[in-house]
Amino acid sequence: MRLFVSGLRKLVRRPATYVTYGLLAALLVLIIIAVGATGGRGSSGRSSAAALSIVTFPGAYDAILAFILGLGGLFAVVYGAAVAGSEWTWGTLKTVVARGESRSRYMLATFGAIAVVTAAALIVSFAVGVGAAVVGARLAGVSLDGIGNNDALGRLPEQFLRGYVAIVMEGAIGFAVATLARSQLAGIGAGIALYFGEGFASIFLPDIIKYLPFDLATAALGPSSFGGGGGPAGPAEPLSADFALLLVGVWLVGSLVVAAGFAERAEITG
Amino acid sequence: MTTAPELALATRGLRKSYGSRRALDGLDLTVPTGVVYGFLGPNGAGKTTTMRLLTGLLRPDSGTIELLGRPFSRSDRRRLFEIGALVESPSFYPYLSGRENLRALAAAGAATSRRRVDEVLDIVGLRDRGGDKVSRYSLGMKQRLGIAGALLSDPQLLLLDEPANGLDPAGIVAMRETLRHLASIGKTVFVSSHLLAEVQQLADVVGIIAGGKLVREGSMRELLAGEGLVRVRVSPDEVASAAQVLARLVPPNHVAVSSSEAGWLSVQIAPDRAGEVNRALAESAIFASGLESGNDLEDLFLNLTQDASTVDPDGTFAGISGRTTMPEAH
Repeated sequence: MRLFVSGLRKLVRRPATYVTYGLLAALLVLIIIAVGATGGRGSSGRSSAAALSIVTFPGAYDAILAFILGLGGLFAVVYGAAVAGSEWTWGTLKTVVARGESRSRYMLATFGAIAVVTAAALIVSFAVGVGAAVVGARLAGVSLDGIGNNDALGRLPEQFLRGYVAIVMEGAIGFAVATLARSQLAGIGAGIALYFGEGFASIFLPDIIKYLPFDLATAALGPSSFGGGGGPAGPAEPLSADFALLLVGVWLVGSLVVAAGFAERAEITG
Repeated sequence: MTTAPELALATRGLRKSYGSRRALDGLDLTVPTGVVYGFLGPNGAGKTTTMRLLTGLLRPDSGTIELLGRPFSRSDRRRLFEIGALVESPSFYPYLSGRENLRALAAAGAATSRRRVDEVLDIVGLRDRGGDKVSRYSLGMKQRLGIAGALLSDPQLLLLDEPANGLDPAGIVAMRETLRHLASIGKTVFVSSHLLAEVQQLADVVGIIAGGKLVREGSMRELLAGEGLVRVRVSPDEVASAAQVLARLVPPNHVAVSSSEAGWLSVQIAPDRAGEVNRALAESAIFASGLESGNDLEDLFLNLTQDASTVDPDGTFAGISGRTTMPEAH
């Protein structure tokens, strides 16, 4: 427990936490305010109406959530890789191992802290997004009547939870890759490459790619999602959201087993 | 392997290779409890590899390690709770303060109180700067913080890899006093270093490693006195003739010019025969301006590691001494 609490304290003080998730929230606010300020005039016809959906409640809830859970996956990969990689790059893993700490327990506690910080960051981003949507709606002259829609609000917790599990899994992928690479930069680079590489590969191998982590993350959100990393796997038969969520769990556990197992066996020379 | 319980650290036949390069080749270390042990060796001799093996960062290819009288392997990580270590350069989170870093470290391994964090900051003279971010620390301050981290669990055995790196003279003196104090209260301090003068002042026992093997181990007093070395200083322009004179007193290969510029020669002869050295020179009208019995750690180190240093890739020690040994007379 003390390892987990210590890990949490470290992440709360870490500038990368605010840079990574702050950028996610900032992008969201920027888009919403831009849409509100232009009143969707940047688009025309149906496109304009679609653009305004992000400032039109209750649909704005879904749109904001889909944005956060979609793009959030990329940021989670980067964040997970940055945290795991820095343990090797800065030599801090070496120091705790030399103190007699269990390598795997340390890695898992560190990831637990990442998961909690990510949850907090997503909640804050969502709240900021909703606030921005209110401002955007006023700028665009859109009514706020739907803001208290019970159906929309009732769906949010489950959607958020599904998306959160998927994002944590994506963070675990970055965490595992950086652990294997023993490097912060290599981990971040490889994580981003996997994220976009999977999206590209899904054009050609949709039946296989739909089982890979970033496509699964999108599928786990259900059919209404905007789409994240790889995006829905093209013409392949889509997986059900529940089955996709199950596979997301498998990838999450698998990534953590790989990261912890590698750290446990690794010879630490740096 | 049988090891007396009074040993803080013992290795037997320790071997470790990185690919085809053998870093350690059957290392046998014997470190008594309650001493400062100076672990010396040229670059690439295997000092840091030894430190990594002793702290479970690496797995030996073969051989055994005993820590505080009991066998240690990487799976016995809890044994490290009784040990404090600074391996290579100190490693910290740059965005946290020194105090926060120590608190984070204290959360791992042996349970450590928050009060202990301030105690160790006091010991290394960083209490006033404990609130500053580590990214603003100088190299010497980071080194002190690393030593503080090693002291956190109040360990029985302290393993320090080049602890004087980056320290200013006052910091070196303070570190020496701290380590001597720890030995005086029964703790064992194992220090790897390349600062021979510092080790000579600090260590009770010395182990010299070269090419992955222990080439000499013993108490500092034995090593420096037991070699039967007399150092004599003459005028630099009389060095050659002094060497010829002394080569008649002892076998020629027992005479070495330590520094022709400064006029120092070393003679392998029992220290109680130093008077004979002086008389032999005086009879040849060469008058010594200095005469010292006993060995110098630097001389001993260079003698023992010279062969290894010539094959050392960075060539650090080749040619440093500038020493020449008198050829056999024919």
